This record gives sequence, structure tokens and C-alpha cells, in this order.
Amino acid sequence: MTVADIEIEPKLLPGDLAIWFFIFMELLVFGIFFIIYAVMRLQNIEMFNQYQLTLNREFGAANTVLLITSSYFVVRAVHAIKLNDVKSCILWLYAALGGGTGFLILKLLEYYDKFSAGINLSTNTFYMFYLSLTIFHFLHVILGMVILFAIAIKAQRGAYNDQNYVGVETGASYWHMVDLVWIILFPLVYIIR
Amino acid sequence: MKSYYNVHTIWIAMMLLTISTYVIGEQGASGIGIVLFLLLTAMIKGVFIIRDFMELKGVSLLWRVIMYGWLWTVCIAIAITYMISLS
Repeated sequence: MTVADIEIEPKLLPGDLAIWFFIFMELLVFGIFFIIYAVMRLQNIEMFNQYQLTLNREFGAANTVLLITSSYFVVRAVHAIKLNDVKSCILWLYAALGGGTGFLILKLLEYYDKFSAGINLSTNTFYMFYLSLTIFHFLHVILGMVILFAIAIKAQRGAYNDQNYVGVETGASYWHMVDLVWIILFPLVYIIR
Repeated sequence: MKSYYNVHTIWIAMMLLTISTYVIGEQGASGIGIVLFLLLTAMIKGVFIIRDFMELKGVSLLWRVIMYGWLWTVCIAIAITYMISLS
């Protein structure tokens, strides 16, 4: 049986239903945050345009590449477990964790640069949004990595196979949500002016 | 044609879209057309993630409306505020 054969069957939500309610709530919070950012920018356009230029777009773009690639690795992990290839599933999960680690390192370097320049939440409205939005997302990346790591450990202990992979799908769905949020956050905060 | 649409080519497409976003940012380009292009780029990537990475293609209409609705609502709201600021 191939992945394509499996996908012909009637589709249920991948993973545990509970994670989808959690994802919905998370997206709602981030969505409101994004819209408030855009509305607040309307009242401070010059300030937002000026300080946006101080952000590290290279790191922002590199982090986008890392998160999308990490998400792609998680897709490969899900496909592998559906084919009962546990070893490949574990390897793809650790590869995804590598992408997440790269994201965290670049983000910490970015924060170090800003904090060492004396920038903090009260510096101005733009930095308040930049720091709070990205730190909130940063915490979600950490949570996503903890979930992926737990799944990788369980997979190593033989908990998943081609008949039981709900746990892998559940973690994968959360990780994709983290990626989805960044895909809006990056152009909104770093690029669009 | 269908054989070229898979997670591997989707990953490549998203890399190219990300590079295009970065290049526009580096050039400091602005204007309504640029804003709409950047948001459209983000939306295309979002659709790829929801449809193909999350594998929500073919799930119940309710969940597709929730996920795509979130993407559309956020991007349109952002577009409106930027159009107001640029008009």
C-alpha cells in the first residue's frame, strides 16, 4: 500500500480532534494580534516604516526557509509512518527538530542584537509589537519542538506503526500551525511597508 | 501534470516564494501592488500548508472553512489597512 492509496480513503481530520480545537484557538489569538498590529500601524505609519528597516531581514527569510523545510520534514515523517517505515519516520522527525533548533538560534541572535542595543518592549510601539509577536511565536516553536521530540522518543520505543500513527499526525498538525503563523508574521512585520 | 504536484515541488515553490518576498524587502519596494503581491505570496504558502502539509484536502467543509477562512480574513484585513495607509 502506498501513501496515495491511503489518501483515497474518506478523510477524517489528521491526528487527534482535540489538537484541532487547540490550533483553532491559537490561530484566533495570532489572527487578532496581526490585525491589531496592522491597525496600530495606521496610527504610526512613519514610525513603523522607520523601525522596520532596523530588523534583520536575512534572519527573517532564513527562519522562514528553516520552518518551511522543517514542516516538509514532518510531512515526510508522517508519510514514512503510514508506510510502516518507523526508522525513516524517526529520522525525519529529528531532521525537523534540527530545523526548529536553527530557527531558535537565529531568533536568539536577533534578540541579543536588539536587547544589547537597549531595545525593549517599552522602546516604542513598533518594537513592542515586534518583540511581543515574535516572542509569543518563539514560545510556540519551543512547544512544537517539545511535542515533536516526545513523538520521536515514542516512535523509537515502537509506539507507532502503519496502523497507529495518530500521535505523529497530531504533533505534525501543531508544527504546521507554527509554520502557518510565521508565514504571515514574516512579511507583515519584516517586509510589508 | 498531476505528478508534478507533490510535497517536494510544493516545498520548492514555497522556497521560491520566500526568496521573492525577501528580494522585494531588500529593494525596499512599496505601493499597493507590492503589498497585494506580498500578501498573495503569503496566502499561496498558507494554502499549501493547510491543503498539502496539514493534509486538510477532503476533510469536512467546516474545518476547511475555519482554516482557509482564517487565512483569508487575516490577509484581507491586513490588505485593507495597508490600502488605507497608501491611499
